[in-house]
Amino acid sequence: MESENKQVYGVLAEFRNPKELVDAANSVRKSGYQDFDTYAPFPIHGMEKAMGIKESPLGWIVLGGALTGMIGALALMIWVMGYEYPMNISGKPFINFPVYVPITFEITVLLSAFAAVFGMLSLNKLPRFNNPLFNVDRFDKASDDGFFVCVEASDDLFAEEKVSQLLRENGALHIETVYDSE
Amino acid sequence: MSEEVTSPNYWKSLGELARNEEYEKFVEREFPENATELNDQVSRRSFLRVMGASIALAGFAACRRPVQKIMPYSEEPEDIVPGNPLFYASAMPFQDALTGIVVENNEGRPSKVEGNDHHPASKGNTSIFGQGSLLNMYDPDRSRYVRKDGERSSVSAFAEFCSDHFASTDQNIAFVSEANSSITFNRLKEQALETFSNAHWITYEPFGEDHALEGTNIAFGERLRTYNHFGEANVIVSFDDDFLNPAANKNSVEDTKQFTDGRSVSSPEDGMSRFYAIESTFSLTGSNADNRLRIKSGDIELFIYALAAELSQSVSGLEAFNGYSNEFSDHDWIPVLAEELLENRGDSILTVGRDHKPALHATVAAMNAALDNAGETVRYYDVPHIEDQNNQEAFAELAESLNSGDIDTVVLVGTNPAFTAPADLNFPDTLSNAEQVIHLSDYYDETSKLANWHINRAHFLEAWGDGTSYTGTRSIIQPQIEPLYSGISEIEFLNTILTGEESDGFDLVQETWQEYFTSNFQDQWERVLHDGVAEEEEYPTVSVSISDEFNTQVATFISDAQSSDGMELVIRADSTVFDGRYANNGWLQELPKPMTKITWDNVALMSKKTADELGVTEAGLGKSEVEVVSINVDGTTIEIPAWVQPGHADDSITITVGYGREGIGRVANTMGTDTYPLRTTENMFVADNISIEKTNRTYEIACTQDHNTMEGRSLLRHATLQEYREDPNFSTYESSYDAEMPGLSYAEEHGKDRPLSIFNSIDEQEYPADEPQWGMAIDLNACTGCGVCTIACTAENNIPVIGKREVSEGREMHWIRNDRYYDGDVNNPKALHQPVPCMHCELAPCEQVCPVAATTHSDDGMNQMTYNRCIGTRYCANNCPYKVRRFNFFNYTKEFLTTGDDPEIVQMAMNPEVTVRFRGVMEKCTYCVQRVNRAKIETDIETNGETKKPADGSVETACQQACPADAIYFGDLTDSESEVVKAKKNNRNYLLLEELNTRPRTSYLAKLRNPNPKLA
Amino acid sequence: MSTDYQYVPEPKLVKGDHSFGDITDLIAKTPLSPTPKLWYLAFGLANILLLVLLGAIGYLIWEGTGIWGLNNPAGWGWAIINFVWWVGIGHAGTLISAILFLFRQGWRTAINRFAEAMTIFAVMCAGIFPAIHVGRIWVIYWVFPIPNQMAAWPNFSSPLLWDVFAVSTYFTVSLLFWYVGLIPDFATLRDKAKSKVAKISYGIAALGWTGSFRNWWNYEKAYMILAGLATPLVLSVHTIVSFDFAVSVIPGWHSTIFPPYFVAGAIFSGFAMVLTLMLIARKIYGLEDIMNIDIMEKMNLVLLLTGNLVGFAYLTEGFVAWYSGYIYEQGIFWLYVVGPYAWGFWTLMFCNVVTPQFLWIKSIRRNVVATFIISIIVNIGMWFERFMISVASLATDFMPSAWDYYSPTIWDILTYIGTFGLFFTFFLLFLRFLPMVAIAEVKGAMPQADPHNYDENNEFDEAKTEPVVVQQEQTV
Repeated sequence: MESENKQVYGVLAEFRNPKELVDAANSVRKSGYQDFDTYAPFPIHGMEKAMGIKESPLGWIVLGGALTGMIGALALMIWVMGYEYPMNISGKPFINFPVYVPITFEITVLLSAFAAVFGMLSLNKLPRFNNPLFNVDRFDKASDDGFFVCVEASDDLFAEEKVSQLLRENGALHIETVYDSE
Repeated sequence: MSEEVTSPNYWKSLGELARNEEYEKFVEREFPENATELNDQVSRRSFLRVMGASIALAGFAACRRPVQKIMPYSEEPEDIVPGNPLFYASAMPFQDALTGIVVENNEGRPSKVEGNDHHPASKGNTSIFGQGSLLNMYDPDRSRYVRKDGERSSVSAFAEFCSDHFASTDQNIAFVSEANSSITFNRLKEQALETFSNAHWITYEPFGEDHALEGTNIAFGERLRTYNHFGEANVIVSFDDDFLNPAANKNSVEDTKQFTDGRSVSSPEDGMSRFYAIESTFSLTGSNADNRLRIKSGDIELFIYALAAELSQSVSGLEAFNGYSNEFSDHDWIPVLAEELLENRGDSILTVGRDHKPALHATVAAMNAALDNAGETVRYYDVPHIEDQNNQEAFAELAESLNSGDIDTVVLVGTNPAFTAPADLNFPDTLSNAEQVIHLSDYYDETSKLANWHINRAHFLEAWGDGTSYTGTRSIIQPQIEPLYSGISEIEFLNTILTGEESDGFDLVQETWQEYFTSNFQDQWERVLHDGVAEEEEYPTVSVSISDEFNTQVATFISDAQSSDGMELVIRADSTVFDGRYANNGWLQELPKPMTKITWDNVALMSKKTADELGVTEAGLGKSEVEVVSINVDGTTIEIPAWVQPGHADDSITITVGYGREGIGRVANTMGTDTYPLRTTENMFVADNISIEKTNRTYEIACTQDHNTMEGRSLLRHATLQEYREDPNFSTYESSYDAEMPGLSYAEEHGKDRPLSIFNSIDEQEYPADEPQWGMAIDLNACTGCGVCTIACTAENNIPVIGKREVSEGREMHWIRNDRYYDGDVNNPKALHQPVPCMHCELAPCEQVCPVAATTHSDDGMNQMTYNRCIGTRYCANNCPYKVRRFNFFNYTKEFLTTGDDPEIVQMAMNPEVTVRFRGVMEKCTYCVQRVNRAKIETDIETNGETKKPADGSVETACQQACPADAIYFGDLTDSESEVVKAKKNNRNYLLLEELNTRPRTSYLAKLRNPNPKLA
Repeated sequence: MSTDYQYVPEPKLVKGDHSFGDITDLIAKTPLSPTPKLWYLAFGLANILLLVLLGAIGYLIWEGTGIWGLNNPAGWGWAIINFVWWVGIGHAGTLISAILFLFRQGWRTAINRFAEAMTIFAVMCAGIFPAIHVGRIWVIYWVFPIPNQMAAWPNFSSPLLWDVFAVSTYFTVSLLFWYVGLIPDFATLRDKAKSKVAKISYGIAALGWTGSFRNWWNYEKAYMILAGLATPLVLSVHTIVSFDFAVSVIPGWHSTIFPPYFVAGAIFSGFAMVLTLMLIARKIYGLEDIMNIDIMEKMNLVLLLTGNLVGFAYLTEGFVAWYSGYIYEQGIFWLYVVGPYAWGFWTLMFCNVVTPQFLWIKSIRRNVVATFIISIIVNIGMWFERFMISVASLATDFMPSAWDYYSPTIWDILTYIGTFGLFFTFFLLFLRFLPMVAIAEVKGAMPQADPHNYDENNEFDEAKTEPVVVQQEQTV
């Protein structure tokens, strides 16, 4: 079925349950592979250790958003009410911090939320409408009840047989080579 | 019938044709004018003519003859600068008394009526009718053309008719006219009576002076006008006399000023007069009484006789009452009143209600004479134009002679007897017995519809005229604008009848005044036009003595007098529409009645007790539907909504006339109930033994105040003179609540005399030093609650009339409202009045909550609304503790200014200096910012930019200017000499809701009463 | 003496014996199977109400706010009441999805998707009112700080402006939160869908989600942060809404207790609404195993708690009014109780204070019908609470002379009813086309999802899910 003009993307193996997936991921990492990933319908506890993933940088992105929001909001209000068009409103001071609190808070939260969502998407390189894995029919189960490991060809140590062997030893139900479509 | 209407040329039978014509008449009445003529009235070109004319007429220019020259704007009149109003002196006739006015004239259209400082009956102030008269002139529903038998005709046609018809001078002519003080008018009247040998003249006023004149006639043998000098009296006793109410007293402006002068207190040392009111209904005047006694109007007579009897023991002249006694003789008031009156001989006033019968007026006059008040506090004038006949009787006789067909021609000058005449005379039918009926009137009214000739009358702002004040000061009425509907004045009308030619008011008036100014006429004439008064001359006063005639008559008085039994009905003129002549005036219709705060309707007033007996419930919060009662007097029945008036006498019903009119105009039609049918020659004022019962019908009343008590909140602070002397600072927060002002002690620690704002840094407002700081003080001791401030504000600030439905929704638009609280026992409470405009708080709660900063503070310390920034969240109104903000829930102004087929006319009444507000924006009192800024600019120019602070008194707000009690002070708080600062220094000065620390710029001076401790 | 303390195990979140696949099918079948007749009927009704809303708004804009029963003292009426009421309802969703998430309340997974949807639609309904209640809606945009030729800016000290920012932020964040939660489920639907249209549209919505753990890793972080943001946000929103009243000077409004009291009330009404909707949905869509009785009971407990918090707030307000010696505050409370609006006050007392007390009884807490009735009564009660606050306080404040009575017109009523049309139109679309339960999260919360629950043969071991019984000796 595989033809010559197709390029290997990686080797995909399916496992029965989360437990096996975690073990598999463990041994794949131990075998020195870096470019691999596991696929499951839900996040599995302990998988980050098994795959050796480090803390996500998302927090810092959100902090950036938060600061922008806070400073921006305050700056706008102080400029408008204190300098651009000061007016005697109920005899209150032109620059009146207590009343700025609510809006500052809301804008801070708003920009943080944007940062969190779009930061997450960009870290995950999403949206992405095509993925070689989608060429594999049984990969549909990844969003249902399938548990997969995929070691990618981009890894230096990648060799189709060795990878398949390793995964088979970890009790993969099914192993398949994934090809990039043109 | 719409079939025939839509296609008048096709009818199936003569009957239909007939109906068809009727319909066309009907159409004529309902839609006074067709479009083309409308435009002609106010199209640009004739608008200029109107303008030019009135300039020509004004002041100096007015002295060139002939005056009615058209002046196109190309010839720039030297005294007009577009955008700057001109002010012309004139006078407003009301019955037969003139009140001096000054009319603001913008590019040739009068836009505001103010009082004339030089005029004794005005002293610069006006009554609600004075303010309302402007809208009357611009009333699109006024009759717009002469009608002969209902068909359109013209003045010239009428003149032709006259020259022919009145050629025969021996025919029986009856002239029926309104009371009129015009010198020219009365000159022509004499001429008429000379010319027509069989003519007789009746001055018919439904609420006239006759009984008072008859009274003096009985007491002194002369028909004299009574003038009470309230300012000079220590003790005032009023029997049912509502003299502060313009509807009950044609000289109310002067009398109000006099009354409040006599009661003004600036320090605990000052004294004030003591005012006793004995009355049935709770009148505006009664609400200002120190001691008030509520008894049935039918019993007032007995009370007066009892008092006379009591006095007769100590004074001479009342011997006839010696030994007389009745049920009131041992009333605790009698000895107290007698004592007070005797202590203040020559310094007291007794006065009785205009409509009470002559016997009462006679007795009261006699008492005044006996107490040496006559000539002192009470003066009697010999008024030349007052006839020697009792006009009410004469009018009744006229009806008879009409029925017996003795009258050929009836000439009705301005009156509307078909509506107002006593019901038993059945005037509409009697009138049909005359061959010719000629009627001059403002509206095509009930009487006009019965007349062969209807002549549309010119408003007093449109025509030349003259007249005298209540006390006899002469003035000239100069027109402010060419007659909008080319009507003619009553003098032109009379002269046309006499000469058979179209006549010119200007000539007639000048002719009259030639007699007064024999030497250099021009200068004197100009001076009168300019000042608005000839000179301070008066009618001749007469020193009176009690006639023997009186003493003989007393016997019959006493024997006739019996106590009122059963339920009584008292019929009064209405506080806002008078006898019905103001029924089509939106401003007046929407002005809350001083005591009930009802708008747009007349009701049957009764005490709580009486209401309970009838099973009538009280309206209030959440209940605007009231029961309708049916009142039956001698077989005539009317149905009218019942209203509980706290403090009303029991077993007594008060109704007012003037409502329930048909086919008059958009405003008047079908508003309220016509109560004239109950008014007969027998019961002109009081009817006894009437039957009244509750119907199962209810009726919605638009009342602007649903809750009548202060709920123990010290909003309107008041004390007796005694208490004031004991504690001059009774009106402070501390003594009002017997608690310390929140935050004050903390402030004092920080060396401040008022609570701090939470922002100590700016605790004291930073306002530019070169700006004036505006403030207002309202003296509640002066305020009588008449409501002229409200209507003056309406006129000045283009406040729309929104109609009954909207008012009953609780959306009234008045910028200054007149709160009326009852205090004490629900059956016999005291009433208190408090005008509430915007307080212009320095720490205004309304400002901070506006999301778009549409309401902010100006440098001269005013809380300002920016209409075109407002998005209408209504948050400011919610957050206003004083609830003085008003919201345009609909496009009120547009609805008001585009009513009917020719909106341009009402639009002419608008003040060009004030923005008209659009739907969805908030509005409120601006301290008449347009006047303030004009003054600031002028001062800036005059002083070459040295200062922006106008001299004290150079800015008057509309409410302040109109107030005859001078209760409102307004001025610059940075000027330590200004009146307002002096007022605020008074120890009665207090701030409304001071504890909120909103720091209002408007403050109040607490009210004082001077009750007799013996009656406590 | 000694007592044995035993750890009482949490009841299973998902009843019955379901595999991951079953869960997927159970939830995904609704969006993927053909539309049932009943749905069309419901949707039709909702649309009619929606048209009523549009009609009422159209007429309002044409004629002016005068068509409502507003008057001079009472410048705010049903519009503001409905606004506060709908926003309050919204709060439950965020609370469930964010706060319970942070507290690791697994049972939230059954209802969070559902509740978040409700939040979003409720906030939409709420948002309408402040916009349309103004006098000149065509310049409503002036409340946003947009540079303009008038050089005029909004007034940042106005609570109403705070509202604008709070509500719009709240709506946006809720929407993002909801969508993030939906991404993996979109992927599930994409993979399950048969029809090309469904595949493509769900595919686009899924943004190419693969279930890669490296993605899950950032995803969980993002979800955690969003939850962390939404938690203070949800508290702030009703706090700021309460500022509309608390910052004013009006007696009955000017009260420092408002923020916590409003938030409690919001959760109270929100949970009631979630219950109402949940009890209908579980029946229709046969989700009894997921939205099960245990969860209903847990929510009833929240209802009981917040209900009593609200009741306590009423008491405190009354006490403060009396204790402050502030005559206007005392006046307004006296008027609440005996004044022209007393009927509203007593309705509210019955609905919000009396009704929740029934939930002390376990059998009622676990009784579907009883819970359903209580949830409805509570929502009525919370509406009346806002009515008393907005109208009664305004209509009878400082100056008795200005007091007036407020009564709504037909247009107030139609507008309110209309918003249910808007709400259910969107809610029905949600039920029809989106997974009403968070598939991935439910799976994640199942015992099978935890690698520790597997024995050495990598077989799922039920026994391992039962926690160890801890024996404790305690001596006094």
